[in-house]
Amino acid sequence: MKVRIIDWRAVAGWRWDVPDDEVCGICRAAFDACCPSCKIPGDDCPLIWGECTHVFHMHCLLKWLGADNSQQQCPMDRRPWVTAT
Amino acid sequence: MLKIWNQKKSEVEAQRLKPKGSPSRIRLQKDLGELVPSDDTDIQFPNPSDQTTFNVVYRPPTGFYTGGEFRFTFEVSENFPHEPPKVLCTQTIYHPNIDTEGHVCLNVLREDWKPVLNIQSVIFGLQMLFVEPNPEDPLNKDAAKLMIDDRQRFGRMVAETMCGQTRSNVAYSNVLDMKNPANKGRTLRNGHSYY
Repeated sequence: MKVRIIDWRAVAGWRWDVPDDEVCGICRAAFDACCPSCKIPGDDCPLIWGECTHVFHMHCLLKWLGADNSQQQCPMDRRPWVTAT
Repeated sequence: MLKIWNQKKSEVEAQRLKPKGSPSRIRLQKDLGELVPSDDTDIQFPNPSDQTTFNVVYRPPTGFYTGGEFRFTFEVSENFPHEPPKVLCTQTIYHPNIDTEGHVCLNVLREDWKPVLNIQSVIFGLQMLFVEPNPEDPLNKDAAKLMIDDRQRFGRMVAETMCGQTRSNVAYSNVLDMKNPANKGRTLRNGHSYY
């Protein structure tokens, strides 16, 4: 049987490269959702990885690092936060 | 392609219509939903429409404070979880880490708070304070000193103040849990005993 494709539509999905069931430790929302201050997940609400391997919504982590009591430490392990490159 | 755009539009619309509280409320709601129910701890909401203020009641199962019922108010600010909840003990009690005004000295409520902790972590911390007070980091220095110097006398002092007795001009609250059979025979300030 010969099949001739007349028309096709591409559909793409995306997700962040993190384990399925993990949530941001700060807001407790899924990584694939956005931080509580944003409305639409995606490039406008990215994730940020530390050298300590911990991941957060970037907006959540920056808000924490901006607070006096954070002492610029990772909220998980209290090591100085260094963004992984 | 048009279909994808329409789908995206309806998703955005759905997000917009969904009632979205402030970030702190959303996070608090998750924390409250994940609390582990326990026989010795009650959570009460004096105003059901406001989840940011609630009471925690703890009945320690072991240690110096067994038989007591200890009450705390929690206040969760708009900056939660970037700021810890404010916790106060509403009774006047004799405790190395809680002063007679109700201020609580607990690391996770101050210098060791971090936003990955939750309401449950704070409750665990409070429970630990009653199971094993920490005289190394005192708010009530006299109580801490007595606990280090003479644990037996400290235990007696705790038991007496829990009945609502006055010591050194401080009128302590009667914190005895009426439902606890361990309190049978313990006396109140007015001399009446339970049962």
